[in-house]
Amino acid sequence: MSVSRRLALAMVVAVTLGIVGPPAAAAPSDDRILAVDQYTTDKGRTLARTYWPDLRTLNAGIYHCLPWVEIQKQSIGFFRPKHVAQDDRYLSLRIYIEQDPSPSFARLPVEKRASAMFSRYVGAMLRRMTKSPTLLADDSVDGFTVILEWLKQVPTAAGEPPTHETIAVFVPKPVAADYLSGQISIPDVATRARVLGWDGETSLGALRLSAWEDNFISTYKVKNYELEPGVTCP
Amino acid sequence: MRTHRRWGLAALAAMVIGVSGCATSEEWATWKAHPTHFASGDHASFSMRNREGSAARVTRNDITRARDEAWWGKPITVSQEQILER
Repeated sequence: MSVSRRLALAMVVAVTLGIVGPPAAAAPSDDRILAVDQYTTDKGRTLARTYWPDLRTLNAGIYHCLPWVEIQKQSIGFFRPKHVAQDDRYLSLRIYIEQDPSPSFARLPVEKRASAMFSRYVGAMLRRMTKSPTLLADDSVDGFTVILEWLKQVPTAAGEPPTHETIAVFVPKPVAADYLSGQISIPDVATRARVLGWDGETSLGALRLSAWEDNFISTYKVKNYELEPGVTCP
Repeated sequence: MRTHRRWGLAALAAMVIGVSGCATSEEWATWKAHPTHFASGDHASFSMRNREGSAARVTRNDITRARDEAWWGKPITVSQEQILER
């Protein structure tokens, strides 16, 4: 058999097996969502099983529509906040917000950096997390946790790891419901939610933030960014 | 080249942070007024550089690739277990 015939045959086999073909459409991995069998209580497992399609929709929406935001593995699920004694289950989302290093942002006090991130992302994430009216009305969903993480500063020496800042915002269900129905504004949510902060791995304890309305997420577009076919963003 | 640019930027950022004190009220006002303060522009230019001769467009895969290439390394950050229970 000639080389060219052998190559042609190899291509046919490769295409048939799916080894060669057009580039696959980008899609988020389900490993961003905590698997059902990873929960430690029946309540958690039941919620995860019931709302799995909604969690996938949440994952895909952020992946496609907020491409500068990254979701790590097992960052979406019905977790129990560590400070809560009983088995209260909060729909939780942890995101890493990619930003250019900014000296002026780095010079702000940590409360102001946290306030800026809260203002920009918490309201928008709450709306995405509660697209399902069924989930919002479910009595076994006790609240919502939004964890925001960003680069505090770039490494200044070779081999030095980057340090992230993190805030965890715990929003009880009644507060979220009031916000989503327009009865309270995002500054009220900042007042009524519990917010914890971390500088790298070091706890900063509870933070008191002053938030404001920020429409960045609904107005910012990545230059020349093209959505995958069939994907739409609000 | 990429590494040199990144360390150059890091050194510049560190120098500016070291020289200056707290943010001024003007800088704070600037942030609140929606500055262009995110990395996505870099992704766009990265992708366009890699598509010479074709129309400039950035796909989700381009952004993922750019992010992987610009990875700073494993960060120091709080673990999920310190915040949430499964």
